[in-house]
Amino acid sequence: MTPQHTLLDYSSKARVENVMIPHIARLVRVIPMVQDNYLFLFRFEDPHLNETFIYKPGQFVELTVIGTGEAPISISSTPTRKGVLEMCVRRMGRVTNALYNLPENSFVGLRGPYGNGYPVDDMKGHDVLIIAGGLGMAPLRSLLNYILDNRNQFGRLILMYGTKTPDDVLFRDELESLTRRGDLECLLAVEQAYQYPGAHPWRGKIGLVTDLFQYVKNINVPNTIAAICGPPIFYKFVLEKLLKMNFSKDHILMSLERRMECGVGKCGHCAIGYKYTCIDGPIFTYWDVINMPELIEF
Amino acid sequence: MKILKLPKANFNKFLLGLNNYGEVHIPKKKSEETYVFAPMEDPSEVALEYLRTVIPPKKYFFKPKEALFKHSDGKNFIEHIEDVNKKLILFGLHPCDIHGLKILDIVFGTGYIDKYYFARRKNTLIIGLSCMPDEKCFCRSMGTDATEDGFDLFLSELKNSYLVTVGSSQGDDITNDMKDLLTEITRKDTNEYLKIRNERKKRFTLQLDISDLPYILELQRESEVWEDLGKKCLCCGSCSMVCPTCSCFNIYDKLSLDTKQTERVRQWDSCLFKDYAVVAGGHNFRANRADRVRNRYYHKQHGFVTQFGKPSCTGCGRCIQYCPTQIHVVEVFNKVRGED
Amino acid sequence: MNKKPKIGIFGLTSCAGDQLAILNCEDELITIADAFDILDWEMAKTNNDKVTELDIAFVEGVVAQTRDLEALQAIRKRSKLLVAIGTCAVWGGVAAMKNQIPREILKKEVYGEEINVVDAVEALPVRSFVKTDILLPGCPIEKEQFLQIAASLLHGDLPELLNFSVCSECKMRENPCLVVEKGEVCCGALTVSGCNARCPSHNIPCGGCHGPIEEVHYDANYTMFEQRGITKEEIQNKMANFATPAWMGQKLISEIK
Repeated sequence: MTPQHTLLDYSSKARVENVMIPHIARLVRVIPMVQDNYLFLFRFEDPHLNETFIYKPGQFVELTVIGTGEAPISISSTPTRKGVLEMCVRRMGRVTNALYNLPENSFVGLRGPYGNGYPVDDMKGHDVLIIAGGLGMAPLRSLLNYILDNRNQFGRLILMYGTKTPDDVLFRDELESLTRRGDLECLLAVEQAYQYPGAHPWRGKIGLVTDLFQYVKNINVPNTIAAICGPPIFYKFVLEKLLKMNFSKDHILMSLERRMECGVGKCGHCAIGYKYTCIDGPIFTYWDVINMPELIEF
Repeated sequence: MKILKLPKANFNKFLLGLNNYGEVHIPKKKSEETYVFAPMEDPSEVALEYLRTVIPPKKYFFKPKEALFKHSDGKNFIEHIEDVNKKLILFGLHPCDIHGLKILDIVFGTGYIDKYYFARRKNTLIIGLSCMPDEKCFCRSMGTDATEDGFDLFLSELKNSYLVTVGSSQGDDITNDMKDLLTEITRKDTNEYLKIRNERKKRFTLQLDISDLPYILELQRESEVWEDLGKKCLCCGSCSMVCPTCSCFNIYDKLSLDTKQTERVRQWDSCLFKDYAVVAGGHNFRANRADRVRNRYYHKQHGFVTQFGKPSCTGCGRCIQYCPTQIHVVEVFNKVRGED
Repeated sequence: MNKKPKIGIFGLTSCAGDQLAILNCEDELITIADAFDILDWEMAKTNNDKVTELDIAFVEGVVAQTRDLEALQAIRKRSKLLVAIGTCAVWGGVAAMKNQIPREILKKEVYGEEINVVDAVEALPVRSFVKTDILLPGCPIEKEQFLQIAASLLHGDLPELLNFSVCSECKMRENPCLVVEKGEVCCGALTVSGCNARCPSHNIPCGGCHGPIEEVHYDANYTMFEQRGITKEEIQNKMANFATPAWMGQKLISEIK
């Protein structure tokens, strides 16, 4: 009879790196994008860490505003461009509010990266259809730029992004410049393109994100992986459309939000059934989603 | 496996002798029905008759409230592990509580490792103690009524002595140090143990059939049992606090008044509390009481089983004893099974 | 913080116990006085500034007289943030205990037919009249919670208090459960934590002095006590001590005579 646990086992577990302790990072720049959705740029103080902090598109970090607390934030930059971590943060709660009040060059804490991220290795060789609604562009921008930086490893690349007005478009300059590129189809839509004096004219489409499907022809559905992220109403219509097109349920990837408090699968707050959003997610296939009754509310 | 005998006449000397290995904690009586694990001041305080303490031994490894790190100079986060060098001897754990720790070992040791938990687990010796069940014990149904491991020593009570099972090298050291108090076991002792064991088996009155339970729960997700339970549950969180396997926590920062020093604190939480699944912006993924209650039961007997192959319930009976509205976990599952 | 927040500490109808609790932060008072610019605090200082706009007003007590309301509205008008401190300000407290009985009747019972100098109105908490940004209940407030709120405000954050029940803290302290073991009317499951189960730890049932948790399960609490042979009246009397306006809002103690 062998005991399951020995002292050696406990000792080795007591010696591990403490995952609850953040690394010190510096807030190097704040770039206002849209109302209450700014892009925050961070660098680790330990220069070595800027090279070794390996992450995947779709992963998140736990961000500490010193003295205020910690919140999960998805990474918007791509691991293919090292040195700076970019996070598109929505001003929502205590911690993000405090972040908005931080002057540039302040210290913050970062730990992670956490979560599964997009299965980029499995997506290689496939066509990729990225569909974002509103603030859903934040985690998808990481995936988009990752694919662009490894362009020859992926097939056809389509981006569809819809918001209410041009003022709500995240990464607008960057995405608008992508529309001129020949190696992806970048389609942007707003529900209303109202203009006011001095406004940057809207050159994209007018309509819902699902209306953009009419502009892309001949999607090779069996070889395409769809990565989608947006508000609940967005999921309802986009999923309807994808299923109608015969997308297999495990070829649809969704990014979910829960209360990921510890990030390491212990605190319990983000549990859905036996899945932890912070460990098994935040990227789930639609098959996962429909098999967990608690998982999403449309 | 090494098994020795400790005559009851030597028991107090044995307890006192444990002081040589660290701070000895024992079950003590706090009121008519309330027992707690607490430091031993005198061997006479040990409540050998106890069945369950309010809080299980998890409190020694996963503390109700503890600082995780401190920050004061603008730059460094300084790791803080309370009691990291304290040698602890926990005496008197019943098999269900040893299984409770084995379950927490899985929770805190799978995937990312919780250093706080294991830093203290490493420095603790566990000395188990046999028991006779009451009407709230259903450990036998959960397969946690006996244990072959998870202890350094285990004491099985006979009429005039204890059988002492040695479960680790450190336990072996203790028995060697105290060899004057111990004797060899005889055939007669074995027979006496078997007699007591059979008597114990007959004493279990509460049973929970967990075969097929995850599947039944899958079918019964919309059962009215959960609505009814939501009407009865106060969501006071008592069951979570006293549960040997509940390990949810909350994290917050405690700031000093001069705003220069921060402490990151974690504190026990309960999935029954209203704010448990609230995300930034205010949406609550489990706003209804019934949903929260169901979630707790599903986690124990469905989620954990799917994840780790066994339920995260030890049948210790604490949630039955301490629920102020007398919610009875076995009755709930029997209802779900259509067997009430 | 580059500028000290300007604050005022005020008392409406109350026992001044919460202001006293602040004064009792003896080790921290100097830090408080240093970190905040205390402009107006009648209980603690002379030469109070009654006009300058305040960053934070801490208000204790209940609106039980018309002049309380006037004072409260004036405080609200000159303050950016209003913090209700103490159960009176948050829930009504003991002054609201007999709210279900009209003031006219109460006045006669207490002062007789002859005297008519008392300017009493139905006692209601601060937030029944003005926007209240932060609620810190307690009778009196807990020092630790007050300091935590003060530190958060100094740091520029809205403070966050956990909305747990007293039962959870009581269990952590491994107290004998006064409901389960003794069949007493203990308000622990109804009441918001923060006191570290102060009373039950001394074998005294929780009186509910911190006021109700966010989502009290009234019916289940009644059933729990009734099953133990406790009458509805006993339960209501107990609940009425500190948060009558809340229970009346739920139509739970309208029946008390």
